[in-house]
Amino acid sequence: MINEIKNACLKAFESGEVGYIIGWQATRFADKTTPLFMRSAEDVEKLVWNKYCVNSTAKYALEDKYPEKKIGIILRGCDSRAVARMISDKQLKRENLYLIGVVCDGKEDPICATCSHKTPVIYDVLIGQPTTEEISPERFAEVEKIAAMTPDERYNYWAVQYDKCIRCYACRNVCPACNCVECYADQYRTGWQGKAHNRAENQVYGLTRAYHVGDRCIECGQCERVCPMNLPIMSQTRKMLKDINDLFGPTECGLTIEEAPVLGEYDLNDREEFM
Amino acid sequence: MSRVGVFVCHCGTNIAQTVDVERVAEAAKSFPGVVYSSTYKYMCSEPGQAMIKETIEKENLDRIVICSCTPRMHEVTFRKMLKGTKINPYQLEIANIREQCSWVHTDKEKATEKAINLARMSVAKVLLNEPLHTSSIPITKRALVIGGGIAGIQAALDIADAGHEVVLVEKESSIGGKMAMLDKTFPTLDCSACISTPKMVDVSQHPNITLMTSSEIESVGGYVGNFDVTIRQKAKYVNHDICTGCGLCETKCPTKVISEFNQGLAKRPAIGKMYAQAVPAKPVIDPNACRKLIDGKCGLCAKLCPLGCINFEDEDKLVTEKFGAIVVATGYQLIEWGELYPEYGGGKYKDVITGLQFERLVNASGPSEGHILRPSDNTEPKTIVIIKCVGSRDPKKGKSYCSRACCMYGAKHAHQILDKIPGAKVVTFYIDVRTPGKNYEEFYDNTRHDGAIYVRGRVSKIYEEDGKLICLGEDSLLARKVAVKADMVVLETAMVPAVGIRELAGMLGIAVDNHGWVTEAHPKLRPVETQTGGVFLCGVCQGPKDIPDTVAQAGAAASKVIGLLNKDSMETSPMISKVDESKCAGCGFCVKMCPYKAITLEDIDVRQGPKTVKKTVAKINGGLCQGCGACNVACRTGCIELLGFKNNQILEEVDSLCL
Amino acid sequence: MSVKENWEPKILAFCCNWCTYTGADLAGLNRMKYPENVHVIRVPCSSRVNPQFIIRAFQKGCDGVMVCGCHPGDCHYATGNYYTRRRFMLMKRLLEHNGIDPNRFVCRWISGAEAAKFRDVVTQVSNQIKAMGPNEKFREPYYLEKEAE
Repeated sequence: MINEIKNACLKAFESGEVGYIIGWQATRFADKTTPLFMRSAEDVEKLVWNKYCVNSTAKYALEDKYPEKKIGIILRGCDSRAVARMISDKQLKRENLYLIGVVCDGKEDPICATCSHKTPVIYDVLIGQPTTEEISPERFAEVEKIAAMTPDERYNYWAVQYDKCIRCYACRNVCPACNCVECYADQYRTGWQGKAHNRAENQVYGLTRAYHVGDRCIECGQCERVCPMNLPIMSQTRKMLKDINDLFGPTECGLTIEEAPVLGEYDLNDREEFM
Repeated sequence: MSRVGVFVCHCGTNIAQTVDVERVAEAAKSFPGVVYSSTYKYMCSEPGQAMIKETIEKENLDRIVICSCTPRMHEVTFRKMLKGTKINPYQLEIANIREQCSWVHTDKEKATEKAINLARMSVAKVLLNEPLHTSSIPITKRALVIGGGIAGIQAALDIADAGHEVVLVEKESSIGGKMAMLDKTFPTLDCSACISTPKMVDVSQHPNITLMTSSEIESVGGYVGNFDVTIRQKAKYVNHDICTGCGLCETKCPTKVISEFNQGLAKRPAIGKMYAQAVPAKPVIDPNACRKLIDGKCGLCAKLCPLGCINFEDEDKLVTEKFGAIVVATGYQLIEWGELYPEYGGGKYKDVITGLQFERLVNASGPSEGHILRPSDNTEPKTIVIIKCVGSRDPKKGKSYCSRACCMYGAKHAHQILDKIPGAKVVTFYIDVRTPGKNYEEFYDNTRHDGAIYVRGRVSKIYEEDGKLICLGEDSLLARKVAVKADMVVLETAMVPAVGIRELAGMLGIAVDNHGWVTEAHPKLRPVETQTGGVFLCGVCQGPKDIPDTVAQAGAAASKVIGLLNKDSMETSPMISKVDESKCAGCGFCVKMCPYKAITLEDIDVRQGPKTVKKTVAKINGGLCQGCGACNVACRTGCIELLGFKNNQILEEVDSLCL
Repeated sequence: MSVKENWEPKILAFCCNWCTYTGADLAGLNRMKYPENVHVIRVPCSSRVNPQFIIRAFQKGCDGVMVCGCHPGDCHYATGNYYTRRRFMLMKRLLEHNGIDPNRFVCRWISGAEAAKFRDVVTQVSNQIKAMGPNEKFREPYYLEKEAE
């Protein structure tokens, strides 16, 4: 498979349309890879494809919104949904991207256990055989576990978590749905987000982020992967997603490049519970 | 440093009885930014206002908080008061300590505490108030009327008579609408054409009215006072500038197709006027019927026309014009009853006709020259059944609403039958008879005296037997089954909105209800306005109604338009949303949420390192924005802010309550 | 922390200018009585209420928060409250997921004529919260300490 990916990269460089391609390369640790920016055919040799390719390749394109040539991206299923997310949110232009989709075999990341889209949803070339896929029954297991608690137990569960949070904002930085030019949390004049480091401020951040991305979360799990304090961040966004599924019908985000998030829509027949 | 003044009103004893106003004023002195506070018996009174103005000068205040009645009462008063001072009228907050404090509480201690809290919240907010300025937008003194039925005609004439230019757009080749098809109108039985055609002629001759027939709205941009409307003028294939309307082409055209105007009861040529009194009185070619346009054969009319008006190469034209106001008068059509009511034959019995078909039958200029004849064999029917509420008041199969005019024209049909066919029998099936209108009940009474039989109940089935239509129903007052052997059945079918109203409403940014009727701005108090400024409505497009109501509403809409166009410019509220372009990511989440289509995405030039790039950002049209703030919440970054209700202002209010 | 005697909750109600705020004014005109601990913030439309305001209110020390607007279909701005409805259906559940008692955050449609409904709703919310005691969840340590004094 690695050879097929390399060939696809070489072909892309040959066409002259692609400026650089984002993939993965080996590090001095056998069980780690790091993102690779191939700028010419010579760099293709460095590309690796193994179960340690856990970094998302998608979000780097946001740093280069006005590229001279197309940006090539090697995509797993989740990365393709990240790209779809950012195109839907009008942050990337499809015509600026050259997408090399690779059917993923699952990586060394717990999130991969509940993956429902190993085959990329958008691509220019696809490598590998598309697999049949279904939504994991474990998708909302964590949410349901918390739902079974009493309000106080739930609060205490999250209190322990948010006491750990160091507000490094790594979850935001890696999230493809967090694509604002300036995050609300970085603004100081509106006063949305206090800068103090305490449980309450951490909770405000956690809840606000969940609400901001909840109806657009593609469930790639990058937020939990990068969290240095191991917070169960996904169970916040998946709570939103579960409610969206329950209230507005089956929803998975980031499957098309023209997605309408539920909070930007309404239906006259929405459930009425505020009468 | 801000210098806030706090003014606490006693409102006589209305506030002072339950709230210790002196304590509120005293407490206010300790709030951040407050340099002055006092109380007064009646702040809104002239001496009260004079005292505030004086204090502003003396204490050099730059913003004020008034603790008094609800801002819905005197916010405007106090803003007006500030106009003459150095303080901007929007540097004002009102703490509602009457309606929401002194009047609803009894414990003076607690009520005073609450009043202090409310004052503190208002002070916290006012510290972040920015001076805002109303802007004025110019008004184009032209009106567009969409729909050339009696509603549109009346509105156009009224506006034009007031001296403003009007463009009247009609999608058919003639104005006149449904009223032109009718025979007589209830309850006076005056001839419909006799009263509507003079108005149609007035429209064509009015110096202030430009008539655009065979035209439809293509797109609408802009906002109140400044709409840019693109109108598609469909190809007529006849040069109306030289055509005299001699009618030679009409008589010689070899193609005959079903006449829509005669509701399928007669045929018409492929070239011609919609009907004899059509305005403009000039023919057009129906491209779906003309042999020359379909397969290139024929072209007889072109050979015959003495002036050479026929142009088979004619094409649709798009014209864009500017308007200050728009009137929607798109009217209605009748419900397609065939599929909904298979028990009435679903259209397979020729002698089961609609009320509008009956109008054509009984109309002297109709296909049978006013003789009521069965469409199947052209014989005079003796027994006629009229069924009301076909599609109306029938939420399961048709529409839930009452179509309002059917009871009366049903009675009129019965009257006309009894009048024209000696010895005829008329049986009317009804659910209720509704006759609210001047002389309506009397008309209905007379019809019954004339011999019309009214049976309360629905017809459950119609079938043919020996050339007769057997109508099975129930007389629910006598609780027994009824069967009528009829020669002809008239279905008084429901009115439904004209085709394309949803698309048009989308272009205009106005709302329609579940049925497609245009929603008025307020059902009681703003009945001819829509939620979009500068767009008005009249006639049946808003909901079923009869001709007098339609004409009255048209006049009302016209007067609103005239009121608007008489101004040279109008002030807009400064409390609208504003975008911080530097933060805007151009995600467009806000665009869809705006009910007024006030937000668009636009590309602006920004410097990105060494190069200039196009960045997409949201833009607010100040003429359209009504200041609801829905977009503010859509924006995760918070780069859209509703002036007067900015995020930090509301957050400060929240914070200051909790101190 | 023991609940102090005579403790009064702090309840914040975001009310839309056209319906609920008018309804609250009407309650005043009719001299209806309800608890003093309810404080109204006027907003043009319930769709102006950012769910983040709710988190903020709890953080800064409110014991209960309400969002009220026109009945769906009656919005002064036509569609605003349809968005409100979706936003707060989700936000309410998210808050509950994080341990906030559902009775502490209440969303209701109250029209300009429903003064009695306004009185009843705020009275009920106030009584419920009074029974529950002060909210300590999401609160900044500063406020908790201040309260303990």
